Amino acid sequence: MIYDEFVTQIEGHGRIYFDIKDGKVVEARLEIHEGSRLFESFLRGRRADEVPQMSSRICGVCPVPHNMAAIQALENAMGIEASEQTKMLRRFMISSQMVQDHALHLYVLAAADYLGVTGISEVYAKFPDAVKRCVRIRTVGNRGIELVGGRAVHPINSIPGGFAKLPTREDMEKIAKDFKAILNDCIETFRLFASLKCPDFERPTEYLAIDDGKHFPAYAGRLVTNRGLKVEAKEYRNHIKEVFKPYSNTKFCVMNGHGFHVGAIARVNLFKNRLNPTAKELLRESPVKFPSDNPFHNNLAQALEIVHYAEEAIKIAEELAVKLKDEERPKPTKAGTGVGVVEAPRGTLIHEYTVDKNGIVKDANLIIPTGMNTTNIEEDLYALLSANINKPKEQLKRLAEMLFRAYDPCLSCATH
Amino acid sequence: MKPKVAIFDLTDCEGCEVQIVNSKFIDRVLGGVEFVHFRLGQRVNRWEEFDVAFIEGAVITSHELELVKKIREHSKIVVALGSCACFGGIAAISNFMDIKEAKRYVYGENADKIETLYIKPLPEIIKVDFMIRGCPIVPEDFERVVSDLFAGRIPREHTRPVCMDCKSKGNPCQLLKNVPCAGPVTYGGCGAPCPSAGMPCDGCRGPLEEPQMSAELELLKKIASKDDIVRLFRKYAPMAPLFKDVGGEKL
Repeated sequence: MIYDEFVTQIEGHGRIYFDIKDGKVVEARLEIHEGSRLFESFLRGRRADEVPQMSSRICGVCPVPHNMAAIQALENAMGIEASEQTKMLRRFMISSQMVQDHALHLYVLAAADYLGVTGISEVYAKFPDAVKRCVRIRTVGNRGIELVGGRAVHPINSIPGGFAKLPTREDMEKIAKDFKAILNDCIETFRLFASLKCPDFERPTEYLAIDDGKHFPAYAGRLVTNRGLKVEAKEYRNHIKEVFKPYSNTKFCVMNGHGFHVGAIARVNLFKNRLNPTAKELLRESPVKFPSDNPFHNNLAQALEIVHYAEEAIKIAEELAVKLKDEERPKPTKAGTGVGVVEAPRGTLIHEYTVDKNGIVKDANLIIPTGMNTTNIEEDLYALLSANINKPKEQLKRLAEMLFRAYDPCLSCATH
Repeated sequence: MKPKVAIFDLTDCEGCEVQIVNSKFIDRVLGGVEFVHFRLGQRVNRWEEFDVAFIEGAVITSHELELVKKIREHSKIVVALGSCACFGGIAAISNFMDIKEAKRYVYGENADKIETLYIKPLPEIIKVDFMIRGCPIVPEDFERVVSDLFAGRIPREHTRPVCMDCKSKGNPCQLLKNVPCAGPVTYGGCGAPCPSAGMPCDGCRGPLEEPQMSAELELLKKIASKDDIVRLFRKYAPMAPLFKDVGGEKL
């Protein structure tokens, strides 16, 4: 029964296989056994206006970014220019998702690794205050998504052109207060994770995130890396290649033949100067400095982002509390192909669709953050296992799984 | 003694498990039960007799097929969690496609190396005692079923369509605006989040018992194309009874 071999406390089904001979790592594989749901196939033939909701079903943990990437791609395909207000509301939804989702990963999935316990029940029994903090943070994050998107898991009313229904100014004022009320919990989360000890490990790699020229990465932008890549999102196919591995239902991604890293650590490494003030202040007092080449620091970067995105949500909500207004939704002006990019909690997410003149989707391609990270994870595994080669096999297994978990992988997404 | 609970996820988005974590009830669940098997939540998991096993997701691979049979053998009560388990879920749309072509589109020349079974609803594979429907489930349904089971009561089924939820929210009727809506035939109790957000019901909870399906289809034919009607029911519960026939000769 393979189920019992799957790595626990991660989204989706996969395992790590490694083989050591004569004191050397001869094989280290990330085997992903998630069933293939074939989203790209069955999204063909659907109406463009139903695709954003259907795409969100790729992931129940991070539905908002899928919904947003699909909308952006469809708008680009159909020549729809979303208003500034619409883009602000979308950044608000992504910020809310980040807060909620990072808290879920840190407290419910990753915390056990650092606190030396086996799982959620034990965390609940031994660290009740942390669990309560997590619930408070997630409740407000969910409320933010619900307020604008209609529902926290699988948003409903965010569609190409804007929203089927808008919140009110009073709603925005109230949610700003809610986010303010949890800001201290977010700060405490960062301090907690900054105080926990990470395995000592470093491996320089290429970090990718999106850049809209202004904001810390969230909604739309060019693809940029720390090694000088700077291209329009629609050129992604020239740089990111998918490779089939016989042991994985997820296709692995490479850039120029090697692995690269997306996610919180990539965003903080690349754009720490654009963090909001409290997050920036916390970074100054942090014992860990960014840019960091220790993949375990992704968890600390997530904790930092909880603070940043909560501040971002407050900023946007306060602005909209005074200027939100009803708007006409722009209509499609053409048929064609479009690419959408957003930052999901786990990293840069790319959706691409071709829409015909009847508004029916003809082609779909999805590049998922965990899919992008796969090659980098394997490269890290080799290096991490090699550096700890003398440890007992059971300890190596735990360390390898902890590394995998630090990436906050989502294999449901990655395989889709 | 605390009830022994297992939560299993098959191929899916894990959004229903997230809804469990989102439930206000989570405190009482964490304190009140013993999780014997819960891959997403803990490292150490055991196979022993489960008082209740929740199964989320669709059976897409042959090891999942073996797994659900094993879970059934170990469980006093099996609850199907969410529409992937109850009705095959969104991925079952591919049941209605040329599956070879569908795989080739995603995996190219490696398509044959990817295993995808014809996706059956869980109750067609093993005996399922209760279903918590929806894509995603609503936390209130989870809370109600769990409280009932732990109190030794048999959870009751909702008997009203989504329209009743929708009316009680005071929403304008989508059908009266000529928007195709599955509300009249869909199993209610969700609180009608979709019409409340300005969108039609897309039938994610499957049909209620004895729905007026032919009347619904007659009505839809007046306002929507055949393709749009098929798309409405072939979405989140495409293998649900009656919904799966839409698009066949009956339409």
